[in-house]
Amino acid sequence: MAAPQTTDPLLEEISGPTPRQILRKRVRGHTGLLFGLGVVLLLVIVAILAPVLAPHDPYVQDLTKRMVKPVFMGGTWEHPLGTDHLGRDYLSRLIYGARVSLLIGAVAALISGIIGTAMGVAAGYFGGKVDAVVTFLINVRLAMPVVLVALAVVAILGGSLEVVIGVLGLLLWDRFAVVMRASTLQVRRREYVAAAQAIGASTPRVILSEIMPNIVNNLIVIVTLEMAHAILLEAALSFLGLGVQPPTPSWGLMVSEGKNMMLFEPWLVLIPGVVLFILVLAINLMGDGLRDVTAPENRS
Amino acid sequence: MKAVFLKSTAMALAMSVAATGAALADKANDTLSVAFTKELENVDSFFNSSREGVVMQRAVWDGLIYRDPITNEYTGNLATEWEWIDDKTLELKLREGVKFHNGADFTADDVVATVNFVAKEENGVKTQRNVNWMEKAEKIDDFTVRITTKDVFPAAIEFLSGPVSIYPADYYAEVGPSGMGLKPVGTGPYKVVEVVPGQHFVLEKYEGYHDSPKGQPTIQNIDIRTIPDVNTQLAELFSGTLDMIWQVPSDQAEKMAAMGDRFTVLNESTMRVGYLSMDAAGRSGMDPNPFTDVKVRRAVNHAIDRQALVDNLLKGKSQVVSTACFPSQFGCAQDVTSYEYDPEKAKALLAEAGYPDGFSTELYAYRDREYAEAVSSYLNAVGIQTDFKLLQYSALRELNMKGEVPLAFLTWGSFSVNDASAMVSQFFKHGSLDDAQDDQTKEFLDIADSSTDPDTRIENYRKALQRIADQAYWAPMFSYNTNYVMTKEVDYTPTADEVLRFTNMSWN
Repeated sequence: MAAPQTTDPLLEEISGPTPRQILRKRVRGHTGLLFGLGVVLLLVIVAILAPVLAPHDPYVQDLTKRMVKPVFMGGTWEHPLGTDHLGRDYLSRLIYGARVSLLIGAVAALISGIIGTAMGVAAGYFGGKVDAVVTFLINVRLAMPVVLVALAVVAILGGSLEVVIGVLGLLLWDRFAVVMRASTLQVRRREYVAAAQAIGASTPRVILSEIMPNIVNNLIVIVTLEMAHAILLEAALSFLGLGVQPPTPSWGLMVSEGKNMMLFEPWLVLIPGVVLFILVLAINLMGDGLRDVTAPENRS
Repeated sequence: MKAVFLKSTAMALAMSVAATGAALADKANDTLSVAFTKELENVDSFFNSSREGVVMQRAVWDGLIYRDPITNEYTGNLATEWEWIDDKTLELKLREGVKFHNGADFTADDVVATVNFVAKEENGVKTQRNVNWMEKAEKIDDFTVRITTKDVFPAAIEFLSGPVSIYPADYYAEVGPSGMGLKPVGTGPYKVVEVVPGQHFVLEKYEGYHDSPKGQPTIQNIDIRTIPDVNTQLAELFSGTLDMIWQVPSDQAEKMAAMGDRFTVLNESTMRVGYLSMDAAGRSGMDPNPFTDVKVRRAVNHAIDRQALVDNLLKGKSQVVSTACFPSQFGCAQDVTSYEYDPEKAKALLAEAGYPDGFSTELYAYRDREYAEAVSSYLNAVGIQTDFKLLQYSALRELNMKGEVPLAFLTWGSFSVNDASAMVSQFFKHGSLDDAQDDQTKEFLDIADSSTDPDTRIENYRKALQRIADQAYWAPMFSYNTNYVMTKEVDYTPTADEVLRFTNMSWN
């Protein structure tokens, strides 16, 4: 929305750029954020358009064309990134694998974000017994090693997309709770919160419109961190054969399937590994960047 | 003087290296290093059912009889001669002057104690098929025994030359299977000097080995290490800490062969058959259970392109198998119903059975994830969605025995017994591993297993195999081959029965 025109010379003198303009300027000057955002957006588009972009069906095997080399190693454009150990097109599997990774990252971060934020804000705002209970729960959660618990649960329930998402969503809320609790504790004592309470605003209203907007930049950073965390954990579980099950294309699974031929055909492991690395790096850069540009004081 | 000094330093060095456990593998210190991929549940050969166990068994223990792996002729090993004195009684004269690794003399008591122990079902020998044909053994004199079979059992000689090895009576009574597993004692060409479960086994040439048809061992020490990952095995072979690996996947073996003069790569067929087992008896409690319908089982058989699997994945000396046994086995008829690759027909059969859109099922496997994935891909293509589960062998076996497995990719190596009964009778006689529980198949097998007339046996195995193929209880797929990769220093000619024989190895 354009700023209203004014004729008052005094006002004109003190009005600098609007907050939105400042934000835009900060975003443009932040290469890490731009790179991260760009890569993540690109992968999201690729994942959504997978059926259009993938040159082959990622599930169709052709045993006569196993481990065809990618084009940069002397292969043909028929299979730009080569084929896997069952003759399935590697590029297509990579593209469909983006869906699995992003879906798991986003949904797991969402579930744990909701759990962790609710707990953290409640603990920080109400204090007392609520705080004691939440702190206890956080400690219990922190005492459990994530990978070990995830392995055990998946081993009992069996690996599938839903189970992996559920397990990671229910395990990764600890950082949300810790950070949200601390941030709420800081904000709760501010004058504007007291003012809102004084004019009779309800508790939900105080939390949603006075507290949340002031801690949301912290939340964004944690969301991106946990998203990257969840994607890596999915890859690790799938690599161990306990995550997403074949033939679903998952990057972790691709690394695991290529592992047997690692000595002679290293690209089978390198390609999904590099893509996984780039995605996780991009998400982390995006999170860092978002924190920098939304922080109250200009830290970038 | 100087030479002596050098020699003793070298020896001291070698000893200290050996003591730290990092034994150098090579010709110079007469130690051959081999890798096992799977861990042994128990070194006691009656209490494991893995191929690695068979390899250990042939090295550490002896059977009463020996079958030459090339000519298939039987000769005496711990027994010198044998004779059927009636349909069910075999009398054996034992070899004199044989000593166990612990110094105990080998006599008729050892045979009697071993047979009577393993033949009792409650003692829990892992593969009952190997021993449950024996009723008891009796001592006639110190070097004569009689083994009585439960029924007429013509394959007795084959089993006595295979999985039935003789244990020292006193020692076994004292330590039992778990003690035997940790400190094995036998009469074999190699004695066990160290067992570290999950890490390695060290064997040493048994100097007092009797004049056995197995031949005399030449290599002094064998160090067998458990290395589950093939890439690690290959890397160790490159760096010289391993001299020999086996069961190398065909893709890697091809690359190794292409490297030319550093390694010898040999391919041999094995008796191992890969097959899909379906829950035809409906034990798994799947509801509805599609596999109880013969049309669905036939559809599964039609869905798999066996030739493509053999040509592109297994390669080597593998072949397409369409019966529930290995073609070279006695009685393994080949002229039974087979199912050609025809996905359209498979879909049609599924539709006929009431599954026009297919169904989903769990698919279990314990080895060769690549083959299992290829198979599941074929099943997916006709509409059978698979929830793929890879388990350890022992875990899958337990589950299978409880009847909780709807569909599994399994393999069986018949303990290298060259008789169809070692495979088809193992799985189709209403045991806990029998997914078909079919009375008619069992009837045929009962006749075949207990007849002395070769023609009756052949005919009834054929009938049983025909029934199995016709009802499509299994989807037999292919036989395995094994690639042996060794450094040029090692001289070994593998045999077609997937048994590594350390006794026949030497240095070039």
